[in-house]
Amino acid sequence: MKRRYFPPRLKYKHIPTILLALLIVLLLLIPQFAGKYVTYMTMHILLFSLFALSFNLLLGYTGLLSFGQASFYAVGAYACAKILLVVPSLLLGVIGGVLFAGIIAVILGFLCVRHTAIYFAMLTLCFGMMIFSIAMKWRAFTGGDDGLVGIPRAPLEIPGIFSLDMSPMENYYYFVLIVSLIAIFIFYRIVNSPLGLTLQGIRDSESRIAFAGISVRNYRLIGFIIAGLYAGLAGAMLPPLENTVTPPIAHWSHSAQAVLASLLGGIHTFAGPIVGALLFYVIKDIIVRFTEYWLIFLGIIVLVLVLGLRGGVVSVFQDRLFPWLRLRFGEGGANERITKD
Amino acid sequence: MLEVLVFQGLVGISSAMYLWLIAAGLTIVFGLLGILNFAHGSLFMLGAYFAFTFYGLLGMNFWLAIALSLLGVGIVGLVMERFFLRYIYHLDLPYQLLLTFGFILILDDAVKMTWGGVFMIPRMPVFFEGAIPIFGRSFPVYYLFIIGAGVVVAIGLWLLLEKTWWGRTIRASASDREMASAIGINIPVLFMMVFAFCAMLAALGGALGTPVRVAAPGIGMAMIIQAFIITVIGGLGNLKGAFVGALIVGMLSAYGTLLFPFFELFFIYVVMAVVLLVRPQGLFGR
Amino acid sequence: MSELLRTEGLRKCFGDLAAVDGVNLNLEADVLTSIIGPNGAGKTTLINLLTGNISPDSGKVFFKGVDITKMPTDKRVKRGICRSFQIMNIFPRLTVFKNVQLPVLSVLNKSLKPFSRLDDHRDAVAEVERILKEVGLWEKKDLLAGELSHGDQRLLEISMAIAAKPELCFLDEPSSGMNPVERVKVLELIKSLSTEREVTFTIVEHDMDVVFSLSERIIVMNRGKIIADGEPAQIRENKEVRDVYLGEEL
Repeated sequence: MKRRYFPPRLKYKHIPTILLALLIVLLLLIPQFAGKYVTYMTMHILLFSLFALSFNLLLGYTGLLSFGQASFYAVGAYACAKILLVVPSLLLGVIGGVLFAGIIAVILGFLCVRHTAIYFAMLTLCFGMMIFSIAMKWRAFTGGDDGLVGIPRAPLEIPGIFSLDMSPMENYYYFVLIVSLIAIFIFYRIVNSPLGLTLQGIRDSESRIAFAGISVRNYRLIGFIIAGLYAGLAGAMLPPLENTVTPPIAHWSHSAQAVLASLLGGIHTFAGPIVGALLFYVIKDIIVRFTEYWLIFLGIIVLVLVLGLRGGVVSVFQDRLFPWLRLRFGEGGANERITKD
Repeated sequence: MLEVLVFQGLVGISSAMYLWLIAAGLTIVFGLLGILNFAHGSLFMLGAYFAFTFYGLLGMNFWLAIALSLLGVGIVGLVMERFFLRYIYHLDLPYQLLLTFGFILILDDAVKMTWGGVFMIPRMPVFFEGAIPIFGRSFPVYYLFIIGAGVVVAIGLWLLLEKTWWGRTIRASASDREMASAIGINIPVLFMMVFAFCAMLAALGGALGTPVRVAAPGIGMAMIIQAFIITVIGGLGNLKGAFVGALIVGMLSAYGTLLFPFFELFFIYVVMAVVLLVRPQGLFGR
Repeated sequence: MSELLRTEGLRKCFGDLAAVDGVNLNLEADVLTSIIGPNGAGKTTLINLLTGNISPDSGKVFFKGVDITKMPTDKRVKRGICRSFQIMNIFPRLTVFKNVQLPVLSVLNKSLKPFSRLDDHRDAVAEVERILKEVGLWEKKDLLAGELSHGDQRLLEISMAIAAKPELCFLDEPSSGMNPVERVKVLELIKSLSTEREVTFTIVEHDMDVVFSLSERIIVMNRGKIIADGEPAQIRENKEVRDVYLGEEL
């Protein structure tokens, strides 16, 4: 029996890591080779991914359907915008946006998590629309339906230490990319931690988890706050990109987009919302070239998904592609039997 | 001052009737089929567009136009239930909301495709023109008709549910689907018919608005949120609650526009939030 | 014998029906007790009251001397009370391993940790392994709980109940719906857990074989009240109990 040590054989368990590395390299190279439009789109996809992840932390992991994540997105965006209009520091704007979104999440969460299922969904819808109407009507503060304009793409700086100019889109792209990757990594750690397990237990059986000594309400609130922070982060990175902030980002139809993206990609997987966010933009982009009536196609896709493919796109991969890959490359690690050479 | 309040109250009651028509259908569908139909507002919108086309564009008789529009939306409702909703009764709430949201997307864009994004201008039938002086102000005759129509529908529905065989069947099936099926009630057909009927109620709301309200893409979306609010206030599945809820929301809107002109929408959401927080089962729910 | 649980005048009505009607109960440590009674006697309601699923209309519950009447379920669990359910209540989308890992982590107060990897908590992992091996589910640890057979799900239920390290554990009809082979397995498990871990089991049961083979003490309920309480032999002879069961073979 001989085992080959060099070069090491490619095993199934290495594939995800390799693909991830390739993906990150690809993302890093986009501004160099893909042109302004793709760079711009990718940033939007990244922000939308964070938004969709925020929604799915609540639905896929905790079992709570929130139709109001757009409120935290909007709070993050408006807060960042207001800050940037006064103090042109990107760091302050983004952190401020996230913080305010978190505060609102604490308040709303406290009110919402004592209710379940349909009432929770309606409460979040309700609060979401309340924030929308504030954004629309409070002209003096939010600019009303015109929104806030002239928001600078402020430099990323720590006074006295360094200052990076963000006005070239390329630079801002790298900021958004790095922040998003870090945020996604943190999200991954959270859902695979004891906290993540506890949330999933709440999703699966409220009554059983109380008997594991868990206060359902408290943990739901924690999940709600984390989700609010992520939505707020996504929103906070919007104003420097677009230089304006307008009320539609607070409308329930924006929340619905997060719902759609998660469903599209698969609500029961980690990457589902991210894949869904990507697909959402790609589909929209493709369809819009042929007809302005792309919403019909989106609607049809939704119908197909709900009726036929509830696991989302990622489940198609998991159920078909991955087992084939396993077979082809072998498990790797402790599961591998030593073979004769 | 009092005259202003009473007058505005009447205006509120009149606008409440449109809301009542959508909310009635929405709450019956929830009570019997167990589905929260997000797309109910789009059915309202379709009813308005159909009526506009038959009456406003093709010049048909007003009543005929309304009847045809009900028929059209009824067919849409039949198709929706038979080929789509039927397959999701057993699914969780997120999927139900999502499927019906898919319908909103499709219907809204279909309307834009067929009629364009233009607003449809109201056209008043000759026999409803004019106004009645109430407290020294002119109250349009049509508004009175609407109030009458809404009350007639309310009484009609109540009679239907309480006094007829259909009503008993519906109530039995709502409280225990399996049992009803076991004693021979054809549940699939019943559900299909009831859904189509509720679609027609929503369409009636839209169609009756032709003389006074604008039809535009997106009116469905605005109405569905208010309809949700009403069914929550009244209690999901509770018809009486829907009527009272509609009155409340209609009047609040009317007084809101009078007293807090910028924040009437916000105000209504606050009421909904308060109801949900304090008594989620609604005023009349169990 | 130390007293674990005591109730005073516990009462719960549903509408006009008094499901639990003035129950004064005390449970002692290390005494395996069964609660029996005909359908509707109030057994499950009593368990629900004792574990905090519902709150009483009147009366008090004391656990190790502390008044827990107003305490929510999760706090009672932290104090040492746990239960299994009559209708299967596991986490269907999680693996068997993770099902048990949850209560284990909770007892170690590690549920809130947001950044650590699940399996990095070696003490928790070891404890889960120990429990699963004791119960006999170790080979199935990576299966989804929802895919287990009925009997295995019941074993999982019990293992989750004891994973919370209770001193007093209520088992609500642990052998219901099981075939004879599975039933024996469960009985053996309860017996061995009872002796090896410091858990006092209180079982609600309908199956008389189970009751009489396991119990050191039997409490009989009817119509919300306790009508008999004593050793198995005494209960067998008790006239009132025989009447209640209308000639059923005890």
